[in-house]
Amino acid sequence: MEVPLPLIWLVKIVVIFGGLVSTAALMSLAERKVSAWMQYRIGPNRVGPFGLLQPLADGVKFIFKEELIPAGANKFMFRLAPALSAAPAMLTMAVIPIGGTVVLGEYSIPLSIADVDIGVLFLLAFSGLSIYGVILGGWASNSKYSLLGGLRASAQMISYELTLILTILAVVALEGTLNLRTISENQQHVGEWNIWTQPLAFVLFTITMFAETNRHPFDFAECEPELVGGFHTEYSAMRFALYFLGEYCAMTVLSCLNATLFLGGPSVPFWPEAPWFVGIAAFCLKAGFFLFLFLWVRWSLPRMRFDQLMRLGWKVFLPLALANLLITGGFIAFGAH
Amino acid sequence: MVIVQRKELTLAERLYLPEIFRGLSITFRKFFEKPITRQYPEEPLPTDEVTRGQPRLVVKDDGNIACVSCGMCEIACPAYAITIDGGETDRQIEREPKRFEIDMLRCILCGFCEEACPKDAIFMSNELELADYTRRGLIYDMEKLKRPKSALQPRIDYVYKINKRWRRTQA
Amino acid sequence: MSELLFYAMAVIALLGGLGVIFSKSPMGSVLSLLGSFFALAVIYLLAGFHFMAAVQILVYAGAIMVLFLFVIMLLNLGGMGTRFELSAAPLTRARSQIAAAVAAGVGLAGLIAVQRASLPRIAQGGAPERIDDINQIAIALFGRYSLPFQAVSVLLLTTMVAVLVLAKRRTRESGQ
Repeated sequence: MEVPLPLIWLVKIVVIFGGLVSTAALMSLAERKVSAWMQYRIGPNRVGPFGLLQPLADGVKFIFKEELIPAGANKFMFRLAPALSAAPAMLTMAVIPIGGTVVLGEYSIPLSIADVDIGVLFLLAFSGLSIYGVILGGWASNSKYSLLGGLRASAQMISYELTLILTILAVVALEGTLNLRTISENQQHVGEWNIWTQPLAFVLFTITMFAETNRHPFDFAECEPELVGGFHTEYSAMRFALYFLGEYCAMTVLSCLNATLFLGGPSVPFWPEAPWFVGIAAFCLKAGFFLFLFLWVRWSLPRMRFDQLMRLGWKVFLPLALANLLITGGFIAFGAH
Repeated sequence: MVIVQRKELTLAERLYLPEIFRGLSITFRKFFEKPITRQYPEEPLPTDEVTRGQPRLVVKDDGNIACVSCGMCEIACPAYAITIDGGETDRQIEREPKRFEIDMLRCILCGFCEEACPKDAIFMSNELELADYTRRGLIYDMEKLKRPKSALQPRIDYVYKINKRWRRTQA
Repeated sequence: MSELLFYAMAVIALLGGLGVIFSKSPMGSVLSLLGSFFALAVIYLLAGFHFMAAVQILVYAGAIMVLFLFVIMLLNLGGMGTRFELSAAPLTRARSQIAAAVAAGVGLAGLIAVQRASLPRIAQGGAPERIDDINQIAIALFGRYSLPFQAVSVLLLTTMVAVLVLAKRRTRESGQ
């Protein structure tokens, strides 16, 4: 039985949130580096070795830039919206188990900030909230492009949240728990990874991830050729940066969730007794793969059309996810379990 | 009017995913290819004698500039970038500029001054970079414009080559 | 500490509710309702109903209110400049007065019922055991209470049909 020392809690919070935010910062660099490498370019390489300090330079630039609030904008909502977009994305990281349990002396420390029984629900509830930042930001800007971006984002996220929840539900039904730690601990061996029992859910979840975070090829909320910058057209300086931070945090959290639900979280293939730091490394690798996938897809595929997106969501993904859930339920009820 | 026949998609194409993976594999392969970026300030673009950069004044081997302040370049300049105040000198050529300024912000690098000069005193160098904090600083005076003849020799030879039909002697 | 939080949240929930009624723009109403929902979720958490709190946020704040916002923005009612003309005219009609009286009576009866019933209250020391177990909730919902559950679904369906009928009649009238 561990003692919840305030110090341990504090260290965990600082390390995990610091990791999340620095991952988000590094993602903004990785985005440009990956796009450069795919186009025979080098990418940012001026600030620090290999351009590694570029996010820092960007941050300084964002802080010193002038903040513009358009005339006719709802000032209160305009200021609040970016925070509404970033905060839920960061909050959700709290329930993700990034590793097993560390035993230090007499303390055993589970490697997640909050080990709640309704982890999956908590995560879904709060990741669903980040859409408010997008909608309200688009609405409060008093600009037609922003409004259209916000509208598109809301329609898109409502549509795809259903698929997201249904695919997660299939895994939850299989595992019989909403606790993310238990789910990841149940997949200690490679053979137990949920990707083998739920391949369809894995594919659907991975694709829905892109739609939920408004990333390519589903980034209709910002869609440059049509909407200038979409919901953040009117934003500048640090508030604009906050939207980006929120987007990258949401990507990171969903990548971690994908790794936890389908790839066994911190489990190392063929080495179930791996020490905890190897587990964390494995977890980071798995989540990192999905993060790379985000960038990889963004710089490879063209944007879809909005009606195609809606058709895909409602007519293809939703029935598939429902059927998957039905079959999973059937197996659980009448199968060999 | 042209009626475009849409190609019938095969099942694999309509499933999206195989085609998506094909696209992804292409970009992934490009990932490992050599970048073609040129790191500009460290690796400047190669220039040769054909490069028509900023005009510079030739300093002859004896240390004097070749210019006799005849004002031909001043007249030829379409952008009115050149300003010359003539003066006398004890040297055999009798005249030299007291002031020779080129406003680099007006200069359009057309090379007319080079063509107009009867004394081979002004040539287009291979210098292309132009930056300063003030406009005043970009009005180059004689000291900034002087270049030893050896530095401009490739360009001088090139100009003689292309103008061989008209020029007979080398100064 | 938790008692203080409870009262703070209760005040926020009530203020949000009042904001829904008195806000002059539909957007303000929606946002007030959102604040109210959040306060309610925190109250659920304080009472130990984690599942309820998460579902409250997931369903109401995360899905239904987004739809509300979407509809408001789509119908272009959204500008803070838009104001509804509040008029007391409907309240002067006898039919409306009766309806208002009935609604108030039902509300009052509900309040009295809640007051008298022996529901678990926060003041009486936390939630009963195992109320948070999803299995228990599911078994209760689809077992013992499956009939009321289905009845609620039917009620919702009825509401939906009624709204459709009402909306349709109105457009036909305005069309003529």
